[in-house]
Amino acid sequence: MTMTLQTERLVLRQPHGGDADAIIAYYNTERSQYTGGNLGRFNAWKQTAAMLGHWDIAGYGLWAVTARGNDDILGLVGPFYPAGWPETEVGWVVFEGSEGKGYAFEAAKAALADARSRLGWRDIVHYIAPENARSIKLAERLGAVRDPDAATPKPDDPCLVYRQPKVAA
Amino acid sequence: MSVDFRIPELETERLRLRLPRMDDLPAHEDFRASPRSKGVGGPFDRPSSFAHLSGIIGQWQLRGYGRWMVADKVTDEPFGVVGIYHPADWPEPEIGWSIYANAEGRGIAHEAALATRDYVYDTLGWDRIVSLIMADNDRSIRLAHRMGCTKTTAFVHPELGHLDIWVHAKPGGTA
Repeated sequence: MTMTLQTERLVLRQPHGGDADAIIAYYNTERSQYTGGNLGRFNAWKQTAAMLGHWDIAGYGLWAVTARGNDDILGLVGPFYPAGWPETEVGWVVFEGSEGKGYAFEAAKAALADARSRLGWRDIVHYIAPENARSIKLAERLGAVRDPDAATPKPDDPCLVYRQPKVAA
Repeated sequence: MSVDFRIPELETERLRLRLPRMDDLPAHEDFRASPRSKGVGGPFDRPSSFAHLSGIIGQWQLRGYGRWMVADKVTDEPFGVVGIYHPADWPEPEIGWSIYANAEGRGIAHEAALATRDYVYDTLGWDRIVSLIMADNDRSIRLAHRMGCTKTTAFVHPELGHLDIWVHAKPGGTA
């Protein structure tokens, strides 16, 4: 069974091998530098494999964001909690050509609701590079507030933590 | 499109080659953080091991073949990762093996690598499979010899450096 989340304009589904070229291309670009990318092809490929496998090993992962009626992947949005991450995160990346349309906001809202209701997540954060002004704006639009005292995933990488308000389960 | 996919499991006399799971992570982290992982580019920091283990599963989705968690057939204790490794910019698919300390010296890498080789030649029907081995990885070179591999050309990887290409003998055929 394949699970999906539906929003007004989007369908969020599990990513698959057919999305790989687009994901690898993204993680190989300079504009992915704030989201663990700008990796070169070898590591971008490995990152993509890890992203796909996250679903199997954890039972959830970043959703592939698609527009209704077109299965092409436009970005990745959703719950992400690799071992060693201090807290449960809902993250987002939108690929080139699909920014500026509010897709990340629309998808993240659905992914947040699903993480709360289906995964039972209570403390949800967004880890954002300090220079990533667009993501900071999006986090605030999603209701998150910066938590200067929160732990960050990688001590050596400067990172802001935006925290979602707790919502009763 | 459904993403349901099945990873074939293999069984040998002592081992089950199965899908990696979350509860294999501590053993996998220990291996990757230890000097034992030097032959595969390590040691690596612990946080990277989750992505690495996830990536083993992801390669099955990307390629349709991949590596297994080698586990004790009776107790399910994880012994290491063996199977077909084929990331981007790799010269060709290869049989890779990374065996944890608890499985050392028991012929477990050999048993799992033989099962992989048979799977490649008999089930997948490929004509050739190799292993890429660093020149100073004596243990792996010994295993390659034991499996009847022949050292041929080399591949220079931008991060991992010089890797010798060992061709696996095809049982009943010519290597």
